[in-house]
Amino acid sequence: MARHSIRRGTSGRTRAGLAALLVLPLALGACGGGAKGGSAAGSSSDTLRVLDYYNSEPNASLWNEAIEACGKTVGMKISREAVPGETLIQKVLQQSSSRTLPDVLMLDNPDVQQIAASGALAPLDDLGVDSSGVAEGVLKASTYEGKLYGLQPVTNTIALFYNKKLLDAAGVTPPATWDELKAAAAKLTSGDQYGFAMSNVNTYEGTWQFLPFMWSNGGDEKDIATPQVAAALQLDKDLLTSGSMSQSSVNWTQADVADQFAAGKAAMMINGPWNFGTLDEAEGLEYGIVPIPVPQAGGKAVSPFGGEAWTVPQTGDEAKQKKAAELVQCLNSDENEVKISLGTGTVPTKPALAGQVTSQNPNLTAFADQVPELRARTGELGPDWPKAATKIYTAVQNALVGGMTPEEALKQAQDG
Amino acid sequence: MSAVVPTRTRPAGRSPEKVKAPRRPVYTVVGILILAFMLFPLYWMVNVSLQPAGNAVATPWLPFDFTLRGYTTAISEQGRNLVTSLLISLGSVVFSLLVATPAAYAMAHFKLGRWATVILFGILITQMVPGIVVANALYSAYSDLGLLNTLPGLVLADSAAGIPFSIILMRAFMGGIPASIVEAAYVDGAGHVRAFFSIVLPMSRNALITAGLFTFLFAWGDFLFALTLTTTADLRPITLGLYTYVGSFVADWSPIMATAVLSSLPAIALLVLAQRYVAAGVTGGAVKS
Amino acid sequence: MAEVAAFQRTTSPSVVEPAGRGSRHRLRTRLVEVAFIVPAVVYLVLFFGYPVVKNVVMGFQEYTTKTFYTGEAPWVGLENYRNVLGNAIFDRSLLNTLLFTAGSIAGQFVLGLAIALFFHKRFALSGVLRSLILLPWLIPMIAGTAVWRWILDTDNGALNRILSAVPGLDVHPDWLTSTSLALVAVIGVNIWLGIPFNMTILYGGLQEIPEELYEAGALDGATGWRAFRHITWPMLRPVVTVVLVLGVVYTLKVLDVILGLTNGGPANSTQTISTFSYDMSFRQFDFGAGAALGNVLIVISLVFAVVYLRLNRKAVDE
Repeated sequence: MARHSIRRGTSGRTRAGLAALLVLPLALGACGGGAKGGSAAGSSSDTLRVLDYYNSEPNASLWNEAIEACGKTVGMKISREAVPGETLIQKVLQQSSSRTLPDVLMLDNPDVQQIAASGALAPLDDLGVDSSGVAEGVLKASTYEGKLYGLQPVTNTIALFYNKKLLDAAGVTPPATWDELKAAAAKLTSGDQYGFAMSNVNTYEGTWQFLPFMWSNGGDEKDIATPQVAAALQLDKDLLTSGSMSQSSVNWTQADVADQFAAGKAAMMINGPWNFGTLDEAEGLEYGIVPIPVPQAGGKAVSPFGGEAWTVPQTGDEAKQKKAAELVQCLNSDENEVKISLGTGTVPTKPALAGQVTSQNPNLTAFADQVPELRARTGELGPDWPKAATKIYTAVQNALVGGMTPEEALKQAQDG
Repeated sequence: MSAVVPTRTRPAGRSPEKVKAPRRPVYTVVGILILAFMLFPLYWMVNVSLQPAGNAVATPWLPFDFTLRGYTTAISEQGRNLVTSLLISLGSVVFSLLVATPAAYAMAHFKLGRWATVILFGILITQMVPGIVVANALYSAYSDLGLLNTLPGLVLADSAAGIPFSIILMRAFMGGIPASIVEAAYVDGAGHVRAFFSIVLPMSRNALITAGLFTFLFAWGDFLFALTLTTTADLRPITLGLYTYVGSFVADWSPIMATAVLSSLPAIALLVLAQRYVAAGVTGGAVKS
Repeated sequence: MAEVAAFQRTTSPSVVEPAGRGSRHRLRTRLVEVAFIVPAVVYLVLFFGYPVVKNVVMGFQEYTTKTFYTGEAPWVGLENYRNVLGNAIFDRSLLNTLLFTAGSIAGQFVLGLAIALFFHKRFALSGVLRSLILLPWLIPMIAGTAVWRWILDTDNGALNRILSAVPGLDVHPDWLTSTSLALVAVIGVNIWLGIPFNMTILYGGLQEIPEELYEAGALDGATGWRAFRHITWPMLRPVVTVVLVLGVVYTLKVLDVILGLTNGGPANSTQTISTFSYDMSFRQFDFGAGAALGNVLIVISLVFAVVYLRLNRKAVDE
């Protein structure tokens, strides 16, 4: 429509002028662009472009060191970009549409199948990557239609953190079952101190925190409208309605939960080892870690695992993809797994290496013990996981503050 | 400070009862109360930025136990990003006004007939488009044109809010300039160009500055284009630089808040300067009848 | 006063062309006129035309993560629209969008106008205070929403600490975590954010009103409220139109405030079409559905703009 308004009374000269105007901004950009030029920078044949989201300490420098060292090992220069966590997927999508994907790409493990399904990743088996020794559940998350697309060196999961002083003062021992958890949480609640905290937020973080309860009770993401899932959700709701858990938990991220715990406002919390840094800074805080309570004594906690896998995108440059695969292999060496685990508070994905880590950092024992039992979020649904994860956190919120019973909330979520 | 006041007054003697008003302290007190209410969240931000824990859990009312850790971190790591933000925002103001001002004038005073409505509606539609839609589409175009990670690229993109806004705003203001004044210029033999520069621009100073101010603020607050159109740390506006402290797992609030506080200082200086200039410009309005 | 330009004006005051020149001159004048407007039009077409068209097309496609890589986006007709409109969350989002927009605009405009009128009176420090009110706009959204979350926190937030300090008042509202209050709280924060915009532009409009009108009015006994009704309001009308129309259009698509405060929760009680669209596209990777929701939003904006401009034109004509 703009064209028409211009054409009214224009001559050939103005059209030429119009064309010049169209080109002008582009020309401006070209001048300013200079050598930096776009994401295709560093496409020289001896440089590997690496993209990840390890943008904060201690992850940022530890990974930088490992990647640089591995670059030397495989004889390539490294050009690394670390973006904020939430923005990685968007960046990946943009880059896949403009064919500017990096040579080595880190992905959060539940996203690997999603991106692999788009065809943007190269199967690692074809590139000669060796995945022996890695826990089965971990490999499953990075496998799509029978092929391995990512290799994950370290992992983490969640467990129950408890404040030793507060539990001692109340004469409470760390709970192992749901009933014990409810009793302990009630006993530890007084004044402005809550007995228990977890994240029930309406994002995948909330889903991730609810999964151990749901899975340990035999629930399944394929159909969440089942008595098993309802019982898990009932536990969550009971903790809230009894006042043992703050209603604010529906708006808390895991980082918020850790802040509450560190400040002594919550005696127990569900959280992961990435908080060790924050917790160690809190003055006078002594904490212990036990596995997440299970429905009945003797049951096994089934938890989801976190952490990121390294992948090799389809860039069309086969020689470079080979080099990229070597880099991925190097990042997953035994030595690197142990080193990064210790530095970032994670555990190696190769169960055989657990001992080397837990002997130096006993806090990681509760997490390392779970590695063989860990379950992949995308293990059953693959690329359809995001839809299921949305259903789960929606149901959790509806049951906790939306005035629905767990059964109603789950049924509504399942039916869409 | 009170020296500021006279500069923004209309020419003396125009409104006798108003000239007496300036010294009424009640108004100043009420004004300060309004401001205090509006700026409480900013106080809280400063407060948190000085707390050692740097989180929400038990922030005292006053930062007695204060630390400057957040500020030292912010200064050492974000200075460059601050300059980038200022350059982009100022660039965007210049570019937006260059493009928007003539268009606003044309739409207010040219005989464009129904096209004026069509264009105006088109501009209005542009304001309805969610930013994310624009950003996604621009990425691939920028990538092909080598505009990613460039200052001009960001200036152009960040003008996406400023240009339509400025046209709409300035058109409303310029429409208020009586046609008779503009027409008088033509009778004098001046063409559009001279009428624009000698009559319309001086009379629209207030509108120009308001439009420029918001263009600055739009560009300053942009996160989306910064995120989607840059891929390296070389050119990173402050809004994106803040995310350095938002880790994938934990957020370090103290430097985030410190950066937010620090980054607003140069912009505050600009705002106060601009408003003084607006005030001075008002006298230009005396031309109007 | 009748010359005041508002959005809907279709005819402009005619420009008298110098008489006695030939058609060559008219052509030149026309070219100059076109040159005034072409850069803006070109910019708008480049930076908005393409994205809008793309978004409309996307709404009819199955557009997923895969599409980004392969470029294949199968045509699915109206299926995306059927899916999102049939979704249980849609009705809630639509209602929330309307409530959020109406509440925000009413609050921002009334308070913004009140503050603008207040600062229009000159007093010591008025200029400095007025420019400092713009400060909320300088705060990066991530910092702003985080601070508000802490202020509004039920157990430790500053607001509830102030409330509990009020004698005889023992309430601890769950501002952001109860389904009945969250929307109110989010609207409140958005009003806070919108006041500077409304205040500044309305103040600019107030300044454009010639002092003589008030002086003449005062002679006829029009002061105070009557002066406002008969002089200020009619003169301010074009600026009011700008503020309201842009305000509504901007508010309808507000995303980051809500994402930062409640992320659309709890239990979808602050979910708007905008956040729902974001969720569909960037969390569930269903970009077709996200685009469809974006288009619904554009249509709502359009309907509002047309209705408002019609009504306004009628009012001006009368």
